[in-house]
Amino acid sequence: MSSPLIEELIEALRCLPGVGARTAQRMAYHLLERDRAGGRRLSAVLADAMDRIGHCAQCRTLTEDSVCRLCAGGSRDRSQLCIVETPADVAALEQATDYRGLYFVLMGHLSPLDGVGPAELGLDTLAERFAGGELAEVILATNPTVEGEATAHYISELARREGIRTTRIAHGVPLGGELEYIDGGTLSHAFAGRQEL
Amino acid sequence: MRIQLTPGFVLHERPYRDTSALLELFTREHGRVGVVARGLRSRRSRLRGELQPFCPLLLSWQARGELGTLTGAERRPSAMLAPGDALFGGWYLNELLLRLLARGDPHPGLFDIYAGAVAALAAAEAPAPVLRRFEAGLLQALGYGLVFGHDVESGEPVQPDCDYDYRLESGPVRVPPGQAGGFVFSGARLLAMGEGRFEDAAVEKDARRLMRAALKLYLGDKPLKTREVLESLRR
Ligand SMILES: [Zn+2]
Repeated sequence: MSSPLIEELIEALRCLPGVGARTAQRMAYHLLERDRAGGRRLSAVLADAMDRIGHCAQCRTLTEDSVCRLCAGGSRDRSQLCIVETPADVAALEQATDYRGLYFVLMGHLSPLDGVGPAELGLDTLAERFAGGELAEVILATNPTVEGEATAHYISELARREGIRTTRIAHGVPLGGELEYIDGGTLSHAFAGRQEL
Repeated sequence: MRIQLTPGFVLHERPYRDTSALLELFTREHGRVGVVARGLRSRRSRLRGELQPFCPLLLSWQARGELGTLTGAERRPSAMLAPGDALFGGWYLNELLLRLLARGDPHPGLFDIYAGAVAALAAAEAPAPVLRRFEAGLLQALGYGLVFGHDVESGEPVQPDCDYDYRLESGPVRVPPGQAGGFVFSGARLLAMGEGRFEDAAVEKDARRLMRAALKLYLGDKPLKTREVLESLRR
């Protein structure tokens, strides 16, 4: 290779998800040959974001503010708190539902074998929030995995201690799905979570 | 080497590359095995729902070198472990296996004990006796089985009304009446442990003390993470 710098750029681009050596090379040449302005902008924003984005002091989601806009704004229902595992889950729920309450982002789930416990998930901050007396409902929207269920279980116990109503989002058969084509895990989870009609 | 639909469990899953996962399996015929599950963490994965921990599975993989590639998994009907003590019990079993088993060492007897323990936890049996029975079976399978029935110095059978100093590397040695100190258990409790009577709360408590010390010999100084997380949740 004639240019160690180009090589370094290609190598650096490979940290992106889904980007292998081939794609990284295409990206590097595209920016160098056709879009230097775009490349400069990307590098400036990237550096800025990496330096300035941290976690919201209230909900732990990613933000460059000390408290994110959603938590700071006055338009949301402060009596409802929806617990999710990742900032991407917040985005998904915001796009798909008409939920008007607030969120709390765990940034993961209980995973004892990896040493992820209550401290890593900010459960102490969450317990303070529960004790604050502002909440009427806690909605548990962790993933329907073994770890997600365990996480939901412990948080619901924390909430119940403060006398707060807890609900769990329903999991199961996808809309438009047919039972015979659904994997056994999803089906058994849906069956275990059956509801009174 | 192609392995087809062999009984096993997923002990642990770690993200690997973009959408794949690295699974630690415990199988009946091949012991602990590491495999890559390609695309498991992608949106379209059909295996995602099947490959949950504590579910008895039939697993297929292709082995090449240290890491194999998962080629299939079928879930067998089973109940889930209830979040709480049962699930923490299950995680504890998995951590013990991950810490104490080397890859590629078959232990069919231990596998059956593990499968039985997981089924008992799923059936909401009291977790503590299940864990003690598993610990005893694990030590036995690894060749560190505890002696309960005889004094390892005199060779005499353990007497229910005598006290014994338990020497972890060998076994119980009778303590002369009136002499204090050591890691002491009553003969009656040792005999009960030997018979697996862990449903008795007093026996279970002594067994926990003994097993913890015995396991520590092989686990070393690095603490068990499941125990640390459970303790911090109880605080
Ligand atoms: Zn916020």
